[in-house]
Amino acid sequence: MLLAFGNFTADPSVNLQLLIGGLALGAIYAVVALGFVLVYKSTDVLNLAHGEFLMLGAYFALTFLISENLNFFLGVFVLLLVMLVFGLLVHYGIMRRMVGQGFFAIVLITLGIATIIRALLLIFYGPTERARLDLLPQGSFEVGGATVRYVDLIIFGVVAACVLLFFIFFKYTRLGLHMRAVADDIEAAAAMGIDPDKVYAMTWAAAMVMAGVGGLLFGHVTGAIDRSIEAIGLRAFPAAVVGGLTSLGGSIVGGLVVGVIEQFANGHLGTKWREPVAFSVMFVVLLVRPTGLWGRKDLERV
Amino acid sequence: MTAVENPAPQQEDSPTYRPSTIQRLLPFAVAAVVPFILGSTTENVNFWWKALITVVVLAVVARMAWVWTPRGELTHREDMRLWRTPSDRSWAAVTTFGLLVLPFILASDFTPPMDFPWATWFAVVNLVLIFAMGAAAFNLLVGYSGQISLAHVAFLALGSIVGGIVGVQWSGGNMWVALPAAALAGAVVGAISGLPALRLKHLYLLLATFGFHFVMMLVWREYLQEYFGFVGIRFKGENSPRIASWLHWLPGIDPDDNGEFIITGQFRWYWVLMPITVLSILFMVNVVRTREGRAFAAVRDRDVSASLLGINVARSKLLAFALSSAVVSMSGVLASFYIGSRGEDSFNVQTVLNYAIIIVVGGFSSIQGAIFGSAFFWFLPEWFKWAREELWIVRDIDFLSDYPSEIDLAIKGFLVVIILMFKPDGLAGLWKDVKGWIGRSLARRGP
Repeated sequence: MLLAFGNFTADPSVNLQLLIGGLALGAIYAVVALGFVLVYKSTDVLNLAHGEFLMLGAYFALTFLISENLNFFLGVFVLLLVMLVFGLLVHYGIMRRMVGQGFFAIVLITLGIATIIRALLLIFYGPTERARLDLLPQGSFEVGGATVRYVDLIIFGVVAACVLLFFIFFKYTRLGLHMRAVADDIEAAAAMGIDPDKVYAMTWAAAMVMAGVGGLLFGHVTGAIDRSIEAIGLRAFPAAVVGGLTSLGGSIVGGLVVGVIEQFANGHLGTKWREPVAFSVMFVVLLVRPTGLWGRKDLERV
Repeated sequence: MTAVENPAPQQEDSPTYRPSTIQRLLPFAVAAVVPFILGSTTENVNFWWKALITVVVLAVVARMAWVWTPRGELTHREDMRLWRTPSDRSWAAVTTFGLLVLPFILASDFTPPMDFPWATWFAVVNLVLIFAMGAAAFNLLVGYSGQISLAHVAFLALGSIVGGIVGVQWSGGNMWVALPAAALAGAVVGAISGLPALRLKHLYLLLATFGFHFVMMLVWREYLQEYFGFVGIRFKGENSPRIASWLHWLPGIDPDDNGEFIITGQFRWYWVLMPITVLSILFMVNVVRTREGRAFAAVRDRDVSASLLGINVARSKLLAFALSSAVVSMSGVLASFYIGSRGEDSFNVQTVLNYAIIIVVGGFSSIQGAIFGSAFFWFLPEWFKWAREELWIVRDIDFLSDYPSEIDLAIKGFLVVIILMFKPDGLAGLWKDVKGWIGRSLARRGP
């Protein structure tokens, strides 16, 4: 291990390449983490099915944009619309009944949803892997001996735009205010005339749309689209935790930090160290500062 | 807690009744002896005769245990018994009988109607035993003590590592040494993995223990590559567990031709797995009834209040982690030796989900539920496989036979969702409802 750390500064362009790769990976993590944060922020649900939502998005992108060969913008619109409908379905079909249940029961029901989505995708799309999407520009350019792909830049731009959009939404729109109110205290919000049911439905729809965007983007950088891409949901946990589970901006910073750390672990220690290192970072952050960098602190009364 | 779930019989007006010691023990003695008599007369008696005798004995044993139960004014000692109501004692006697008679039934050759998969059932029963032990320990930690942990698969892996080091590398297939070693290692590592619980709760604890899962997976892969290479650890063949030669005088143990008694085949494995599982489950049921067990529940409900009651919260949490991990590690050793090989992909995130499915379907925070859940988890695919091939109408649907494993997965997912939505206490709750319904309808009829 010390030897591995020894060549840390051997070749600056290697480290630059790892840094850029890490930032690219971090942008993807940020997309996923944003989905976690959206749901957790307003419904207090830890959505373990987000990786499967993302897989759903990627497969739908495959259907609408490649198989049906729709115009890019029309295809994306249809994709997001379908995901929105699925989000409403998840809320009105399942999650609505779970409001007020114990924390672990809700976590487990998201696991159940994840299992269903995985099984249905296997039935309808089969286990064969598909080529990744190629609709965004595929080229790359060189910076100081390292390669930067256009796709990564686009992903980064889209994530930043989404965060900004959600930030404005939460801060300045009426529905965003309602969402924050419900997240803060559901009973008080209901007493003020806010319909928590509608707010939750909107939250799930927004999370699903975000998963659609994430699936579309991730479908461009993954090796191939197959059943294993749902793992991104679990691998993005450290990012969400480091940034703080209730902080939108934190998901970007957390994603980038964890992505870079993972890439460096990958490059200097070996592939098998990726997950342990990322989760160890998460572990340390949890012990030192459980709410992450910018998370909301909860008080508890006896 | 037990007092609420299982109220003492309200029979102030009924006369005090004390069965003699012989009367108290007789049903259990019958339940323990009859299976071996039935099992030793394999050739002469028809399967259906044996089934009839089994059912009759089952009813007789249940009735005897029901009648010969202390009633009326109970002493404190009687009130504290694990099985004290007539119904508890009947179920205990029936379960004893069932567990002992089951291997003989499954080992007899019998062709059920419609090609019901008789031969595979024994394997499923043994797997159920192993999984019930692990799931009950998991439920003790997550459901009963409220310490949300996703690290239990890490402890299965720990069990395999200890089984590999102690059972294979040091002693060449000595499972009996590996079991206590795994319990010890599991308790120590479990207490360490529980350290975050002192500071974190709920969601954050879940995430922290999930981190521990990935660290343990790294340890497992490193260990495999260091000593065993790509193929994984072999627990079969020359490494399969055996009974030492100085114990060969025991009844029922006749050594094979080479003078060894190797534990192989479902029948022999059953007699290893069943006692270990039953003992560990009884152990956990009793832990819940002690002061420490009640402290677990108090910490789960509100740890600040528990500390005001004089409970050492840190000690209680770590003890819950240590106990649960010790039992899970032991079940990991058993699973390794029973399944026979453990490779790199034996443990993954799907295994974590499987255990979660087991405890949800069985019933959250109930040790009985862990048994129901693992039975359901293993029997459902077998039953479904049979239905796809043999059951009329179902066997004609091509869609079902085209995607067998996917549909199993989908059914499991739908079950978890439906049970959590409509019956949060799972199969154990359903069982309690059925028992209550039968009891009420019997009582309504009256004497």
